Amino acid sequence: MNYKLINNPMSGDLLSVKRTDVTPNLFIPINEANTDYQEYLEWAKTNTAEPAD
Amino acid sequence: MSTLKVDAIRHNSATSDAITTAADGTCTANITSNYSNRSVVYNGAMKIAQRGTSFTGVTASGTFPVDRFLFHVGSLGTWTLTQSTDVPTGQGLSHSIKCDVTTANASPSGTAYARIDQRFEGQDLQRFCKGTSNAKNFAVSFWVKSPKTGTHIVQLQDQDNSRNVSKAYTVSSANTWEKKELILPADTTGAFGNDNGGSLFLCFYLAVGTGYQGGALQTTWGTPSNTTRATGQVNVADSTFNDFYLTGVQMEASSYCSEFEHRSYGEELMRCMRYCQVYVNPKLRGVRGSNTNDFHRMGMTLLNTLRADPTATWSGVQSVYDGSGTASITGISSPYVDTVSFEMDSSVSGTLTVGTGSAVIAYTGGNEATLTLSAEL
Repeated sequence: MNYKLINNPMSGDLLSVKRTDVTPNLFIPINEANTDYQEYLEWAKTNTAEPAD
Repeated sequence: MSTLKVDAIRHNSATSDAITTAADGTCTANITSNYSNRSVVYNGAMKIAQRGTSFTGVTASGTFPVDRFLFHVGSLGTWTLTQSTDVPTGQGLSHSIKCDVTTANASPSGTAYARIDQRFEGQDLQRFCKGTSNAKNFAVSFWVKSPKTGTHIVQLQDQDNSRNVSKAYTVSSANTWEKKELILPADTTGAFGNDNGGSLFLCFYLAVGTGYQGGALQTTWGTPSNTTRATGQVNVADSTFNDFYLTGVQMEASSYCSEFEHRSYGEELMRCMRYCQVYVNPKLRGVRGSNTNDFHRMGMTLLNTLRADPTATWSGVQSVYDGSGTASITGISSPYVDTVSFEMDSSVSGTLTVGTGSAVIAYTGGNEATLTLSAEL
């Protein structure tokens, strides 16, 4: 798995996490009820996402 | 030909009539389970397939051959999954899931598995009164057509309380539609959360490795043990000639299985759209910045409220028009989602007229793009 963080271009706050190792890419919301975000949080315990641009 | 003439029918031990007849030829019956919406299963007739109807080369979990039914597989063959029109005759069913083995695995390793899941929100399961003295049985019925005779396993997996129960059923004739009715026991321990989280998985096994069998099958609710989950499960994946089919899935809070509850296409589609919405050439509307390379912010209101904020994917190309020029949306750069709306800043190729910011609309323009919003469990 690979992820990249996406910040809000207006506020600079974290907006989304993009999963980049699948096609098409997944744009995952910062929401703990979302199972893709739950999976990202597990992954992030031992890995680091690519920082936002 | 004879006629039974009575005023009422009552069980020997009952204190009231189950059926009372009237002089006008009608009757009143105290029927306890034939109410509408008695099945908690979504898309049990396999009618809805928003993501597509055929998926090839499946070797890992995550594919939904039809809405709400997840193919969950690990290290156990390669599969083509389709929404099939092969169905049992005379049941009013039009579709089934077909799981076609394209690379066989005759000797699954310890942790290998293949199964079909439906996953439920706890707030939709409160009728089972799980974790209380009034707990109800889980009555599971379905039609199956398996390439293998013998033992197959259905499992309930309580995610809130880490409790499992399994039930075996026997396929008598290979490659023949058979209806199965299983009563899985009530559980007075461990209530389901009354929320939108995933509380229960209903699992239909197709094959497992040695790590998921060997112990006595867990036929009463208890703490999960891998070796008691699917003991006896035949290996559906042992030949590329094998096709496994499933349809007519129903689960009720009852001690017996009632007739399959058919739903209209539109009703079932809206129910499924709580978990996934697929838009081909979505009707996005929005604005663009005043410079050629400024982002476009476009959005729309969704057709149904999602279970949770969704994961978004975009594939293909869609055109945009600002009243004078056109360009193409090639992807999402920044998504803004909640359970009722979708907006995005888009990646764009081509140039719109340089000038002040203006409204833009998405249109087909000979292209085709697909936006998928998923809030599955």
